[in-house]
Amino acid sequence: MNWGVVAAIARKDIVDAVRNRYLLVALMTPLFVALLFRVLLPGLNSLSSMTIVVHDPGASQLVSKLAASPQIKLIKAGSVEGLANEVEKSNAVGGLAIPASFDADVAAGKQPELTAYLNNKENNIKQAAFKQLLEQQVLGLVKPVPARLLWIDVAKEPGAPAPAGFNLNQMLFPLLLLITFGMSGALVVPLLLVEEKEKHTLDFLLTSPASLTEIVAGKALTGVVYSLLIAAVILALHHKLVGNWPLTLLTLLSGLLFVVAIGLFMGSLFQNTMQVNTWASLVVMVLMAPSFPMPGMSVALETASRLIPTYYFVEALKLSLAGTVSAQLWKNLTVVLGCTLLALFAATWGLRRQQN
Amino acid sequence: MNAIEVAGLSRTFKNLRAVDNISFTVEAGEIFGFLGHNGAGKTTSIRMLTGQLRPTEGRAQVAGCDVLTEQPRLKPLIGVVQENQNLYERMSGRENLAFAARLYGTGSRRIDEALDHVGLIDRAPDKVQHYSNGMKQRLLIARALLHRPQIIFLDEPTRGLDPVVGRDIRRLILELSQQGVTIFLTTHYMEEADQLCGRVAFISDGRIVALDTPDNLKVAHGQKSLEARLTDGQSLTIPLDDQDAGARLAKLVSSGQIRTLHSAEATLEEVFIQITGRRLSE
Repeated sequence: MNWGVVAAIARKDIVDAVRNRYLLVALMTPLFVALLFRVLLPGLNSLSSMTIVVHDPGASQLVSKLAASPQIKLIKAGSVEGLANEVEKSNAVGGLAIPASFDADVAAGKQPELTAYLNNKENNIKQAAFKQLLEQQVLGLVKPVPARLLWIDVAKEPGAPAPAGFNLNQMLFPLLLLITFGMSGALVVPLLLVEEKEKHTLDFLLTSPASLTEIVAGKALTGVVYSLLIAAVILALHHKLVGNWPLTLLTLLSGLLFVVAIGLFMGSLFQNTMQVNTWASLVVMVLMAPSFPMPGMSVALETASRLIPTYYFVEALKLSLAGTVSAQLWKNLTVVLGCTLLALFAATWGLRRQQN
Repeated sequence: MNAIEVAGLSRTFKNLRAVDNISFTVEAGEIFGFLGHNGAGKTTSIRMLTGQLRPTEGRAQVAGCDVLTEQPRLKPLIGVVQENQNLYERMSGRENLAFAARLYGTGSRRIDEALDHVGLIDRAPDKVQHYSNGMKQRLLIARALLHRPQIIFLDEPTRGLDPVVGRDIRRLILELSQQGVTIFLTTHYMEEADQLCGRVAFISDGRIVALDTPDNLKVAHGQKSLEARLTDGQSLTIPLDDQDAGARLAKLVSSGQIRTLHSAEATLEEVFIQITGRRLSE
């Protein structure tokens, strides 16, 4: 592999993509969406004055951690039975019933049950923030086997529609990252490759000292550079969410490499811009789907979502954001890496097949 | 010494035999014309000789390199001007050459030299999308020459250009040949091939059906005759192979009836039609 040639191709594409208005808009879309979320949902990342009612007979480390946060006000409930009433009475966002043996059970890997109460009178953003806080804290506590969180609605009006049921904040970050990777990797990268075919500049590259592998690597590098640049901005906007920086960066790299490899495969299959535009939106939607957590999802849907490799990226991201180094995280990353290698192999095969 | 050696080269696409067992050699420094109608197999042949396409059968050596097994060594030794004007349109002329220079590992000093050589130095900062067809063609030639190749493949280099630009391109080709560069040229224009090429090969339906110098082809396949235009406005053809041709000509000259006298040798186009039964423009 001649890295000078790879760098030359990537440098050309990086500059050329900015000059192409369509590609520029595609690259900037995730940033617009990120900024839009910040403007429209300013309280998304703040946990100001969050009140939580706890029943914690075993003085668990989870409550100690929550108590350490200056943004969280804890109210102790005398009994599990009185917890729901206390949540409603004190206008708390929610409550927690923690078994006395919680810490010991977690240490023993027993998956203890943790009951959380969600005050439906509070606004959706606060509820979502509470959910995220709790899920992250639980993920941060447990070693390979997570505790089971059981959610109970408090003050739910009879006949009222089901609560939003999704964790907005936790959803937005992986979603924004997948939009970024999707736009850079699954749209811009195949467009760059297909444009070389349409304009016949690929023929020039193939008669130059650049090999097919170097051309593919150059396009991949372009996708990686753009994905990293935009992801860095989004990461900066959400830096408070990151629990373990090296792991989070490693997870981001694995996710973006996978989407770029998918983009290269698409570029190897398609012959014109119209085909890419038609299929890329569908591919990006499918890749983004696992970043929409859907509680109460049917077993069939849950199984189907596990067939999408970005599911493992999202799962790995949740663990790395929570700062949890576990075997599950490495398993997820291995699946993403394996799928990346398969997609890269398929892309090279696709181009070689066309060449011959 | 041969710059190109081709032996039994074939290429099949599913059921179509695009190139069928062609064999020829091109000497170093020669301008070799490869002439054929659309779909005859010219571009497929060039793609195989430049390493873009694997032959189904046969072998070829270009600049002493096997086109199948020695591509990394081959590519810096050849320059290719493809039929399509495959330039990066959003980049300037200089940026296009700078990119090629980085691929070939050529110093940036050569960029201005190449641009100057084709008369584009003043338009170098302009985006290629604002270039005329002729300028784009000259830039393609500059890009192909940037790394000083031993052999240059020109696929229809004057197609669609106005006559003045076409003449400039032909002048450039002759200059390159004088500098010792071997040129493999495909063209639709028979006059161009006649004017430039030392030898030409006619390719039809994937096969080489004739290969010789343009003069030999014209002599071998053309009609040897004179055409006399007479003072009364009529024309008279005198076949030179006839036994009494000399006497008829002497009689006409002495009668003072001849206004002009022309050699009626066949054109290369006529020879092509005679051999292949098809026009080049088909």
